[in-house]
Amino acid sequence: MENNANYWRENLRLILICLVIWFVVSFGFGLLLVEPLNEIRLGGYKLGFWFAQQGSIYTFVALVFWYSSQMNKLDKKYNVEE
Amino acid sequence: MNRHTKLAILIAPILAIGGYIASDFYLAHDAEQTKFIQLTTESSCDVLAGKCVLSSGEFKANVYDENGVTHVNTTFPLDTATLFLVDSSDVATVYPLQMSDSPYYWFNKTPLRELNGTQGDSQKMRLVLQIKGGQYISEFYTQNGG
Repeated sequence: MENNANYWRENLRLILICLVIWFVVSFGFGLLLVEPLNEIRLGGYKLGFWFAQQGSIYTFVALVFWYSSQMNKLDKKYNVEE
Repeated sequence: MNRHTKLAILIAPILAIGGYIASDFYLAHDAEQTKFIQLTTESSCDVLAGKCVLSSGEFKANVYDENGVTHVNTTFPLDTATLFLVDSSDVATVYPLQMSDSPYYWFNKTPLRELNGTQGDSQKMRLVLQIKGGQYISEFYTQNGG
């Protein structure tokens, strides 16, 4: 029972980390900090613009695989893998 | 593909769409706040010679005078445009501009040509250009270069 609670707590922690990164790259870099980031150029594009258009999407895709791999490790740790 | 990958792939687009909608709300709300943005002259200004461009970022306003009619031509469409001629006692006379064929072109008859007709004369002017959610304002001098 306690194992289940720990498993769920660690799962929630991973979800929270993912949501924080999701918020930072989309709202933070793409909207709130867009002006200062636009001072920096990345391959000819303004960095704030790049995050709003592409960078946040790349990060979302990376988060999918990162979350998945972390959850697989968690499954092994608690012996609940498929 | 295990259950976690499937779940993450399912949730990611929902978050992305949620983020898109929330961003739209944020930007719409931000755009409704009235902002004051100062326009500066790109170089020395001579309205009578048609050499006066005020700018801030991508917004530009060209101020020129033709036969006693002062025109303002902007890069973005305006809601209203108001021109002030300021005398030596700092008293401003207001000239609300009328829209020409499109909200990019505004004009009104002003005595600028009489006030600034002599070479070397300088005339203080103010311009207030209203766009949804923002006011572009400027105080500048037009110098008759002859």
